[in-house]
Amino acid sequence: MTALADAYATWSWNPVADLRQMWAYPFMVNAFRAGTITAVAAGVMGWFMVLRRQSFAGHTLAVVGFPGAAGAVLVGVSATYGYFVFCVAAALLVAAVPRTGRGRRPGAGQEAALTGTVQAFLLACGFLFTALYKGVLGGVTSMLFGSFLGITTAQVWVLLAVAVTVLALLGAIGRPLLFASVDPDVAAGRGVPVGLLSTGFLVLLGAAAAEASQITGTLLVFALLVMPAATAQVLTARPALSLALSVVIGIAVTWLGLTTAYFSDGPLGFAVTSYAFAAYVLARIGRAAADRAPRHVPVRVPAGGAA
Amino acid sequence: MKAAPHRRPARRAAHTPAGRARLALGGAAVLTVLAATACSTASSSGDDRADASSSGSGKGGGRTIQVVAAENFWGSIASQLGGSHVKVTSIIDNPAADPHDYEPTARDARTVAAARYTIVNGVGYDTWADKLLAATPSSGRTDLKVGDLVGVKPGGNPHRWYAPADVHTVVERISADYKKLDPADAAEFDRLRTTFEQRTLGPYDRLTAEIRTTYGGTPVGASESIVSPLADGLGLKMLTPETFLDAISEGTDPTAHDKALIDRQIRDRRIKVYVYNSQNATPDVKRQVDEAEAAGIPVATVTETLTPAGASFQDWQVRQLEGIRQALAKAVGR
Repeated sequence: MTALADAYATWSWNPVADLRQMWAYPFMVNAFRAGTITAVAAGVMGWFMVLRRQSFAGHTLAVVGFPGAAGAVLVGVSATYGYFVFCVAAALLVAAVPRTGRGRRPGAGQEAALTGTVQAFLLACGFLFTALYKGVLGGVTSMLFGSFLGITTAQVWVLLAVAVTVLALLGAIGRPLLFASVDPDVAAGRGVPVGLLSTGFLVLLGAAAAEASQITGTLLVFALLVMPAATAQVLTARPALSLALSVVIGIAVTWLGLTTAYFSDGPLGFAVTSYAFAAYVLARIGRAAADRAPRHVPVRVPAGGAA
Repeated sequence: MKAAPHRRPARRAAHTPAGRARLALGGAAVLTVLAATACSTASSSGDDRADASSSGSGKGGGRTIQVVAAENFWGSIASQLGGSHVKVTSIIDNPAADPHDYEPTARDARTVAAARYTIVNGVGYDTWADKLLAATPSSGRTDLKVGDLVGVKPGGNPHRWYAPADVHTVVERISADYKKLDPADAAEFDRLRTTFEQRTLGPYDRLTAEIRTTYGGTPVGASESIVSPLADGLGLKMLTPETFLDAISEGTDPTAHDKALIDRQIRDRRIKVYVYNSQNATPDVKRQVDEAEAAGIPVATVTETLTPAGASFQDWQVRQLEGIRQALAKAVGR
């Protein structure tokens, strides 16, 4: 009877009691660990992605995690390897296309078209892998839309190792990357290896997308990759502050999402995405209200939407 | 036009805030590590509580073993073998839910966390249940994986509850595990097992044996691989190609070649009875049912899980076996 009572979660308005209740279960502890690690890595990578206007490339890298996971299950290895191999390989493929230019120049359109082509083909491969798999390919839904209930401690360590590596590498190239992202022409003129940085960034983005895919699913990766970053860049134009905000928003929506999913028995992907969407809408409304106020607005670094 | 005024200050901004951005990056990395360690302290205290809640159920005389079955057909058996000494929760307990691609909820995970005994089918049938078990490791829990117990390799037919011999193997094992978990009530578990095997499963065993002796060797067709172990157990000859049975069971597309072959089998009345899973009647299956009926071939139905939801394993199976026997009687005229 005690255990039956345990099976029903009771929400109290005391956050400490609620957290303690959730963390009494190892599966929830792992979900919070994995969610936090993912939110931090995705928040940082997503911030650069939005700044560089590479959301579509990021979407592609995330989506190819699906054929990766399906292919890994088909050959009989852990889906985790599939996510990483496919996401990083797709990053190299997208980066391999010569970039003739950025912004409104013709080359940018070509890049998006190629990215879309790669995405469509790899998605079709995912469909092939699920069809080829002789047996019940469990969890196609969780590959696409995420699951937080089956995360083992070993997986948390893999996620942590990847996140720390990605963030360390990004920290090493962060300064020139920011320069190259904001003004590639001037950066190139000053001898910054813009092309190399772009490739390196896409590979890191692929790794971050692969990581986030395992929590949010390949279709809802954007909940953590693009939404907190977009919200943060709407709120402030100061790089350090908006980067920090992106991470904080990412963690906040993840924790709120996990809590909601735990107490409502609902799907995590929807909960996280809803909170992130609400944050973005509020930020937009706040921004519009602030901009309408008749005062001098300081000149800002162009963010994802501008320019 | 908007871009031009933005450009120039941006170039300047790129240098000074970049250092701060890097600081923020470092901060993020530290935060990641912190989060992982902070949660780990919570988990060590958390494990105690989870353990306490599962063993705490032993109060008030006889212990109650908290049992979780992934599907209700195993849950029904486990419940009858444990009587008042077990509390069985089945995760799939709704005829509308498909065990193949079930997405567990947080409540399911909590139920598993509180369990001292778990029963999953295995053989890739309920991989979601494996994940739930892996996410909540527990030294005080006994896990039964039916596929491993009866020795079905990955890729084999997972529908072991349709194999009468395997059902008896599982009954023996569950009862033996109960006795290990609660030795004080061993005599009671023995009594419950004897009752279940000799009396409760009596009609099921008799009907199985009867169909075997009366209709053994009769060629039949089926919609999916769920019927294969039953046909083996009943001594019926399955003419439907295995690739088609697997495709329908696993929700993939059957090949045109298989469909043409089955159409011929029905048209030429080479199968005497057509058995299909009414919980998984895809358009292909519905068409075959119509074709069989048009050709005058008796049709019998089975379901994936207990139907209606509250039925017992034996009542459900016996009702289905009766249907199959009637269909066979009509077809063979015996």
